[in-house]
Amino acid sequence: MNPLFAFRGRPAPSVEILCGVVFAVALIAIWEAASDLGWIAPTFLPSPSRVAAATWTMVTHQNLLWHAGVSTVRVWVAFLIAAAMAVPIGILMSSYRIVGATLEPTIDFIRYLPVPALVPLSIIWFGIGEETKIFLLWLGTFFQLVLLVADDARRVPHEYVEIARTLGGGSRAVLVDVVFRAMGPTLVDNLRITLGWCWTYLIIAEIVAADSGLGFVIWSARRFVKTPEVMAGVIVIGIIGLVTDQILRALHRRMFRYL
Amino acid sequence: MSDGYLRFESVTKRFEPIQVVAETDLSIARNDFVVFLGPSGCGKTTLMRMVGGLDTPTSGRILLDDRLVGAPDRRRGMVFQSYSSFPWLTVAGNIAFGMRYRDDLRAAEKAERVDHYLGLIGLEAFADHYPNRISGGMRQRVAIARTLAAGSDILLMDEPFGALDALTRERLQVELRRVQLHEAKTTIFVTHDVEEAVFLADRIVVFSQRPARIVAEIDVTGRLGADRSLDLRESRPFFELRNEVLHLIRHESGDPA
Ligand SMILES: Nc1ncnc2c1ncn2[C@@H]1O[C@H](COP(=O)(O)OP(=O)(O)O)[C@@H](O)[C@H]1O
Ligand SMILES: [Mg+2]
Repeated sequence: MNPLFAFRGRPAPSVEILCGVVFAVALIAIWEAASDLGWIAPTFLPSPSRVAAATWTMVTHQNLLWHAGVSTVRVWVAFLIAAAMAVPIGILMSSYRIVGATLEPTIDFIRYLPVPALVPLSIIWFGIGEETKIFLLWLGTFFQLVLLVADDARRVPHEYVEIARTLGGGSRAVLVDVVFRAMGPTLVDNLRITLGWCWTYLIIAEIVAADSGLGFVIWSARRFVKTPEVMAGVIVIGIIGLVTDQILRALHRRMFRYL
Repeated sequence: MSDGYLRFESVTKRFEPIQVVAETDLSIARNDFVVFLGPSGCGKTTLMRMVGGLDTPTSGRILLDDRLVGAPDRRRGMVFQSYSSFPWLTVAGNIAFGMRYRDDLRAAEKAERVDHYLGLIGLEAFADHYPNRISGGMRQRVAIARTLAAGSDILLMDEPFGALDALTRERLQVELRRVQLHEAKTTIFVTHDVEEAVFLADRIVVFSQRPARIVAEIDVTGRLGADRSLDLRESRPFFELRNEVLHLIRHESGDPA
């Protein structure tokens, strides 16, 4: 019996990290070998070393980092606007049934509209400037997030609310001191997941209407079949996602030590 | 036997379409420890929640100290069976939360009261622990301390020990009895456990199956005295009373589930 494979067991954290790294490195090694041995055409799948080289050239000569920064700012601006709206509205929707009943059908309808289908409309409304991108990202996240938040708030045990009320807390106090606190961990998780979706919508927006950002970089490179550059752009998005997610997870652990 | 500190006057409750509480008249004396005993689903929780202001009677009225009870306030403190303490606050933080909405106490006074109640329930050593790091029994003590710290006049406890193992349960019963005497709080304690009822109560009110109707009232302190220790549990009078109540429940209100 190998303890590493104990059903629902818990290996040492160092072992877990090691396994994660080894798997990723092995994948890259196989990929490199496959390209070097000529199993795959380089225009189809260039080797990791070529992608790395392309990344470096793009960083030094083609402002790759600036493009990455532009995309990141777009994502965060839209995400923060969506979150700033979704959190209070979602909590209100679950705290006052009438608010929920009023908004839910409309939100549910819009939520199911695929963002790419709304790109043309967005361009008609906002042109091809920053507004379009922010709008599309907001559209893709706000309506999802608001329902997630409402659900999180709804799932706060009623006992918590009643404890606070029997201690003399008014509705506002209970909302802030209890509902908001109790839903904290799931709220942060949902924000983290929604932030990930923002990147999906961003790339769509930047492919269609932009002259900057990672989506634009990827799409321009594709036009000249510069596969290493396409992959470089994709990998930068992956790295930003990975780093952001790890930071947010660490923050989650710090904020909710009691879990 | 009561000065009518808390009075139910022709109280009924319907959750359409079902009648949950049949017309109930009951009078509870100040500082009395009253246990509501009855089969599961008979309406005990509903009766207690109406005292707390979390539900309102369909007809009739409930008076506390001659005033109609209204919306919840800290005079009527609740202890629930589950989710009884806030997981994001430490033990001390949970107790302090009892005074969160009291503007009449200075910060220093609040801190003193937290220490006092930590001592009373014997959790000084766990002051900085979060609820999920302590046992279920400790969590219920925290909930009791929080309610006491709030300065409630009346303690409403809904099967607070229902989820605990038998030994912890016995220990907490002894402790609750001691704390209740020490703090002199009128207490309503809901349970469907006959032994728990006999051990804790000054007076047991036995309810029928739904719709809850008072089947009997038993003066436990008159029979067993006010002093309750673990020895009492093994005594003859305790057994006799327990069997009597059990018999009563079986025949008057159906099996306690
Ligand atoms: N909010 C409610 N709406 C509808 N029915 C309820 C509600 N609360 C309780 N009931 C019903 O009232 C009956 C009595 O419930 P309760 O007072 O919780 O009983 P007990 O505490 O004695 O087990 C049960 O049948 C329950 O289903
Ligand atoms: Mg109940």
